[in-house]
Amino acid sequence: MAKMTMVQALNLALKQEMAKDDSVIVLGEDVGVDGGVFRVTDGLINQFGQDRVLDTPLAESGIVGMSIGMAVYGLKPVCEIQFSGFSYQNFHQIENHAARLRLRSRGRYNVPMVLRTPYGGGVRALEHHSESRETFWAHMPGIKMVIPSGPRNARALLVSAIRDPDPVIFYESKALYRAFREEVPEEEETMPIGKPRIAQEGKDLTLISYGAMMRPTLEAAAGLKEKDGVEAEVIDLLTVSPLDDEIFVQSVLKTGRAVVIHEAPRSFGPGAEIVSRLMEKAFYYLEVPIERVTGYDIIIPLFSREKAYLPNAQRIIRAARKALSN
Amino acid sequence: MKLEKDDLILLYRNMVRTRKLDELTIKGLQEGKVLSFYHSGQGSEGLAVGSAACLRKDDYLWGHHRGHGIGYLIGKGLDGKAFLAEHYGKVTGSCLGISGFHFAEPEYGALGAAGTIGSQFPISLGWGLAAKKTGKQQVVLACFGDGGSNRGTLHEAFNLAAVWKLPIVWLCDNNGMAQYTPIKDTYPKDDIADLAGGYNMPGVVVDGMDIMAVYEAVEAAVDRARAGGGPSLIEAKTARYRSHSEGSPDVSHTVTRSEAEIAELKKRDPIETFKIKLLKQGVLTEEMVDQINKEADEEIIETEKFSLDSPPPEPSILNKLIYAE
Repeated sequence: MAKMTMVQALNLALKQEMAKDDSVIVLGEDVGVDGGVFRVTDGLINQFGQDRVLDTPLAESGIVGMSIGMAVYGLKPVCEIQFSGFSYQNFHQIENHAARLRLRSRGRYNVPMVLRTPYGGGVRALEHHSESRETFWAHMPGIKMVIPSGPRNARALLVSAIRDPDPVIFYESKALYRAFREEVPEEEETMPIGKPRIAQEGKDLTLISYGAMMRPTLEAAAGLKEKDGVEAEVIDLLTVSPLDDEIFVQSVLKTGRAVVIHEAPRSFGPGAEIVSRLMEKAFYYLEVPIERVTGYDIIIPLFSREKAYLPNAQRIIRAARKALSN
Repeated sequence: MKLEKDDLILLYRNMVRTRKLDELTIKGLQEGKVLSFYHSGQGSEGLAVGSAACLRKDDYLWGHHRGHGIGYLIGKGLDGKAFLAEHYGKVTGSCLGISGFHFAEPEYGALGAAGTIGSQFPISLGWGLAAKKTGKQQVVLACFGDGGSNRGTLHEAFNLAAVWKLPIVWLCDNNGMAQYTPIKDTYPKDDIADLAGGYNMPGVVVDGMDIMAVYEAVEAAVDRARAGGGPSLIEAKTARYRSHSEGSPDVSHTVTRSEAEIAELKKRDPIETFKIKLLKQGVLTEEMVDQINKEADEEIIETEKFSLDSPPPEPSILNKLIYAE
């Protein structure tokens, strides 16, 4: 197995799916000749040609609307929006068409498209280039919101997303793009959309997170073990919506203590829904209130204060100790 | 394609059916049977029926907001049953009675509707691109109104369709009024078709009240698109006889449109003028006209009964339509 960065692993997923299925079409700004600003689509145009790798104008509504139209027709478009903050331009195409065409057509149309887009902080880029607003998409019935946490699951989940009959918003952490390498098998690998995984087993406390925040969360879990002798169970959601709560509810029934971590703004963030599920399904097993470690209810600040905004292992450990205090 | 006598009679018949279904839907709303809004299409029947008649069954259609696209669907071969039942909120409706009027009929290439005017511009690109890729020579008839022409998405879509020579016919139903606002207040020129020049595509203005003028213009654009010539823009000047939405005041800004003003619009009525023309040509006789009206009335009674007799949907179906199973 080759060791790959997330960028390489995503590129592998696209290459293999395009080779396997002629109906997979890649489109977006500078994804073709240039190979994508983050290089995820590098080399695709040479292998598959301009008919299947389309360089589009700067027109997010056009790119996404076009993808929806192609998907309805039976193709499998994978469009790239250069930064997740730019996807607000195409918000309406997703909420009005991608999320609703199945209902509107009495289930006769599906929209098998993927919208890939880099999200989140950690690379010191301003505003729209660093946001984590997965709640926008998670709040839309009909849309699947997927956020991988490393090269191997990114590759497997992207393959599954391309094959999924429903529209998938696929957030890729810029901070993780080249942060580390993992063994990624050359042979085909998929992962079920809508299923969280247990990243690390433990009995004392449950840490629930996803995407880029899995790194500080695992770092915090290691710190808790080393300094406090605490065994944290760590859940990686992978799919934010539709949210499958079974694994994390089971975990909290066991541990009675939970911390939810995300870099999205705190209020109405995914943590609010996760905590609600725990209140509904694990309330009588909770020993203490559930803690949240999140971004703040502000616009993500410029690079000089980015570190103050993003959750880190120290903040997570602090919250975990509070959750372990009674 | 030269239209034969039977084709001309069918165009007339479909306009009559469209008008009667429009009247029936208004009646249903007044009687509390239509559960959603209704935006009457009276005045645009010639445009709807005449343009849809240029399409193959497998061509793609985004019908116009007026009349909730029914004239286009009838022109493409549907009847009004699933349309009315949908408005009645019945399970036999085209979207199981849960959408009101934002429905799709995939078998007829009718991709849907949405109250958010202008959202169809980008999605039409995808159908056009997919159709071009598969080489089946399908075309997309993408309709919008003078109000929709003000949308920013129009530029993204016109531009891309022209650059990539997609087989799309952009059809503008310009009845001069966007809800309560006259187009002259929101667009600086007389003709929306003039936009086409900026995208290096043909743009023509036609009398949207003359079904033959509509047919000829749309047919030329469809032929061009099918042959790989790319998109076209057609602006049809039509009239809106009724208010924007049934039950809302019929005003231009805040001034009520006068009866005299509406009567003036109706002088150009697409159904009446076409009838007179066909009678003169000997294609129709008075007896045939009576017969067509009688049959359309019978169809209306049947359509209403079908909708009344259908049950509303079970709430449990809602869950099944959000994600693929």
